[in-house]
Amino acid sequence: MRHTYNGIDRLALAISGTLMLLGIVVLGFLEVLDGAPFGAAPLTNDAGDVVATPLIDPNVRTGLVVAGLLILLLWGLYRMYLPTGAAEETPREATASH
Amino acid sequence: MSTHTANPFTEGFSLEFSGPLAGYWFAILRVLTGWWFFHAGVTKIIEDGFNYTYGPVFLKGMSGTVLGPFATFLGTDLAWLIKPGVPLFETLIGLGLIFGVLTRLAAFGGVFFMTLFWVGNADFAHGLVSSDMLGLLLMMTMVVFATGRYFGLDAIIERTDFVERHPRLRYLLG
Repeated sequence: MRHTYNGIDRLALAISGTLMLLGIVVLGFLEVLDGAPFGAAPLTNDAGDVVATPLIDPNVRTGLVVAGLLILLLWGLYRMYLPTGAAEETPREATASH
Repeated sequence: MSTHTANPFTEGFSLEFSGPLAGYWFAILRVLTGWWFFHAGVTKIIEDGFNYTYGPVFLKGMSGTVLGPFATFLGTDLAWLIKPGVPLFETLIGLGLIFGVLTRLAAFGGVFFMTLFWVGNADFAHGLVSSDMLGLLLMMTMVVFATGRYFGLDAIIERTDFVERHPRLRYLLG
């Protein structure tokens, strides 16, 4: 299966992938380096009091991932509405013979 | 004796890496993911009919999240649609995936649901990659690999004259 992607395609995929990896992996790594809580939720004691909060607001991280997904969606719509000749470059590639 | 040193990642992917096993596994993955959604939807219908009142409550509870404004809009102004829509669309998404019909469209619906579940449940104590996130990735995988083409009815539907005349439909099928 082989696609021909132009600059717009590559840019969309690069930005989307970067945002998702940044939100989950890169900022997750910083969160671990910063010490507890290692997850993205506040740390509480047995009484339920918050004893430590995440370095990065989980809303920022989830926002980055959602933004990456939205870019993928917009890119998919863009590919869908390309002129027919170009759109046909996304064929039944691996349709299968399976 | 020559050694093949080319990097396969530089020239795109080929499912030939795994041969027929890839198609087999995509089909298994698709049917199980479909069953997951079908089960979630159909049991809601059995228990509550098309009146899933927790749907709007869940969405309104997302007010502090990154999707807050959108989710509260869905939970208040579109509550009339959410109550029947959650069980109905979960069931339809499940059926679409199980039988491989309109697979990409169904999986896109799954991505929509799982994004709301992932952000709304905010079960991030062990990091951002929760079970909801993995469900979201599964649905994305269905879209990217067009898994309905493997032992799914989309493989037949895509060969019909209608789809041949409207090739863009393959973005929703497959």
